[in-house]
Amino acid sequence: MLEPIKKNWRILLLVVVVAGASIALFAPQFAPETAPGENQSDAQQGITNLQYGLDLEGGTRVRAPLQGYTATGVDFAGDDPAAVERAVADELDGVQLRDVGSSFGEDEQAVEVTDPSVSEDEFRAAMDASGYEYEGIRPGVTAETRDLTQSIIEGKINEAGLSGGSVQQVQSLTGEYYMLVEVPGEDRSNVVSLLQDRGTVQIDIAYPSENGTAVEEGVLIQDDFENIGTASQRETSTISYVPVTVRNTASDGQQSPAEGFQQAVVDRGFASAYQSEADRCEYDPETGELGNSNPCLLLTVDGEVVNSFGMDPGLADSMESGSWAEQANFQLTTSEFSTAQEISINLRAGALPAELDISGEGTSSTISAAQGENYKNYSLVTGILAVFAVAGMVFLRYREPAVALPMIVTALAEVYALLGFAALVSYPIELAVIAGFIAVVGTGVDDLVIIADEVMSEGDVNSRKVFDSRFRRAFWVIGAAAATTIVAMSPLMVLSLGDLSGFAIFTILGVLIGVLITRPAYGEILRRLLTIR
Amino acid sequence: MVEIEVPEVNYTEYSNRQLVAIPLAVLVLALAIILGWYLVTGAPANLGLAFTGGVELRIADDGGNVEERIETEFDRQPDSIRSIPADDVYVVTFRAAEEDPEGLAEELGQQADDADLTTTAVDQVSPSFAGDTARTAIFGVALAFLGMSVLVFALFRTFVPSIAVVASAFSDLVIPVAVMNLLGIQMTLGTIAALLMIIGYSVDSDILLNNSVLRRTGGFYESVSRATRTGVTMTLTSMAAMIVMAVVATVFGVDLLRNIGIILTVGLCADLMNTYLLNVSLLRWYKFEGVTR
Repeated sequence: MLEPIKKNWRILLLVVVVAGASIALFAPQFAPETAPGENQSDAQQGITNLQYGLDLEGGTRVRAPLQGYTATGVDFAGDDPAAVERAVADELDGVQLRDVGSSFGEDEQAVEVTDPSVSEDEFRAAMDASGYEYEGIRPGVTAETRDLTQSIIEGKINEAGLSGGSVQQVQSLTGEYYMLVEVPGEDRSNVVSLLQDRGTVQIDIAYPSENGTAVEEGVLIQDDFENIGTASQRETSTISYVPVTVRNTASDGQQSPAEGFQQAVVDRGFASAYQSEADRCEYDPETGELGNSNPCLLLTVDGEVVNSFGMDPGLADSMESGSWAEQANFQLTTSEFSTAQEISINLRAGALPAELDISGEGTSSTISAAQGENYKNYSLVTGILAVFAVAGMVFLRYREPAVALPMIVTALAEVYALLGFAALVSYPIELAVIAGFIAVVGTGVDDLVIIADEVMSEGDVNSRKVFDSRFRRAFWVIGAAAATTIVAMSPLMVLSLGDLSGFAIFTILGVLIGVLITRPAYGEILRRLLTIR
Repeated sequence: MVEIEVPEVNYTEYSNRQLVAIPLAVLVLALAIILGWYLVTGAPANLGLAFTGGVELRIADDGGNVEERIETEFDRQPDSIRSIPADDVYVVTFRAAEEDPEGLAEELGQQADDADLTTTAVDQVSPSFAGDTARTAIFGVALAFLGMSVLVFALFRTFVPSIAVVASAFSDLVIPVAVMNLLGIQMTLGTIAALLMIIGYSVDSDILLNNSVLRRTGGFYESVSRATRTGVTMTLTSMAAMIVMAVVATVFGVDLLRNIGIILTVGLCADLMNTYLLNVSLLRWYKFEGVTR
């Protein structure tokens, strides 16, 4: 009973692979996973389980490095990392402490600065002045910051409701890291504006002092907010707000953020300034001056004041009496709904630890959904016509359907198996991958020509032994050619050259499937057709 | 009906020197073109957006003299405008001279909107990223070529046949680059992929030829003609696929596939010449004179 299986294993293997590919392509169990906020029919594109990349589906891709400099191999000299950060930040003019970070671990001991205004020389000078030994300065940020940035970008994309977006880190030849963000179905301005700003939200208080208007910065910072609501619009006006709760917990002996904020508001005299609805905040964002003697709360994003407001008398009183901190409800109001939305996203996802340098060293590309659809159809037509061209040539050359037909069917089976593989691992099909498929058909048919010519040379095949020896000879050439193709393509797989890694991966996979599965099967088919006669 | 007859070349009528002269002359010419290009333009080829940086817009033709409007509506003069027949789309390229290509992309998109031109795709590459890409690409091609050479030497373990394969693969790479310059095709990521594919494809027929001559029984000319029959069929089949791909993708404006198609067609032509003139004569010299020395 095992004998027929043993005799026909080459063909059987091909049948198994093709059946497996069919299951991966069509069975609902292998359907693409749904992203949050996406339903099954959205995730499934067309009748197959294939996923399409941006250039066939439409969307935006942004690739950019994170701005900053990192001092590597820093000798912390037994100091607390926070102390080191402070020492370095003190040496840099106008750089906030949160823009200096450090990484203290087994494999990396580094200090980084993520304020884009700091130049490499300034950072070097600051490191020298801080007195800590270091090995060198490189552009970019630490691995920790990259990972954090990646997860925050993911959060931002999800919060903004852009379904199916993905974020990856890629490394260039020179060792520089890039963030690769892909968002299907969105145009560039939405994606770029989401990514370009770090989204640091904080509340300052502007108050009158002896020499004009003074500002107390950061009375509430990003981490102080919890239970961030969704942006809402007031019924009667365009004024919008984000309801938030200020955290009222702190470690022992420390003031909680809510209490701290309450204290600051009381200290600046909000309760006495805002007695009735008639008392307004008159902060002028152009000049940064107050128009009257009332203190104002300033809502800032990335250091820019997006809105200023006074305080409802009732709220001011509850702060004065100290009861507000227990509930600590608060509304961040803005004049535009879109700003409120942005603030809500920024608060929920967090601020980016470093800025993406899209304009300086990045790339971005956008393809509209219609263009993507066109590309999809056109490349399908191109592929089919290329296959017809190959088929035509093969028929013209051999004139014998018994040789030519299996050749074309085998080559197509190769592509089919590759498509199944793509569906199985959810690899998005891109133009470059389709070029890889066409390359596979090309090399595949080449090798089948070698087999056919070799087997049919030197007279008729009249025994299995003759066939086997000829087939083995042909296989040496095929194996050698396959090895060179794999070697030639492998650099592309790892180098970050745009979409080309997909091209290389599928060409190599195709060659492997060809050498291991489809070409032996073709040999077997040919043997049966030739020796039976 | 057309019949494909693989031509039988009567190699005995020509000396090695005569056979080698043609491929070598073509190779020298190609190298001269590339060198000249480098001296005149500062780059060995027409570098595309991915290697220079800049902004490329695809603008849909919604009727009425779009090309003229593209010429006038943008504040900057476009570096190139190309129309794609099947799609009624124009591809407009702006080279990046300044610091802020992202801002430029935004600005150009805005200007297109203001002029009621529909942009279907925007690509923006910053100059420094482009420089990095160029270095990576050269490194990648060099690495692939080196890997292929090492593998070929390991397979045949004799100097002359191995160097024949490597030399003809080198020529197969250089000739398409020169032809690209002459035809005005830009070097893009797609063409880099195509060049790597040439390394893979071109070696196939060379290996087949070497294998036939060195490892199989039978006379030299018999082995060559057997390998030629198979090899030419292979190359012509691949070429048919690539020509179709180049033509169809040009009509549809799928640049990546078009570039790969054109480069491979040229590369495979070069391969026919190099394999059956250069490689054959080197093998003949090795077989009849080289071994006995």
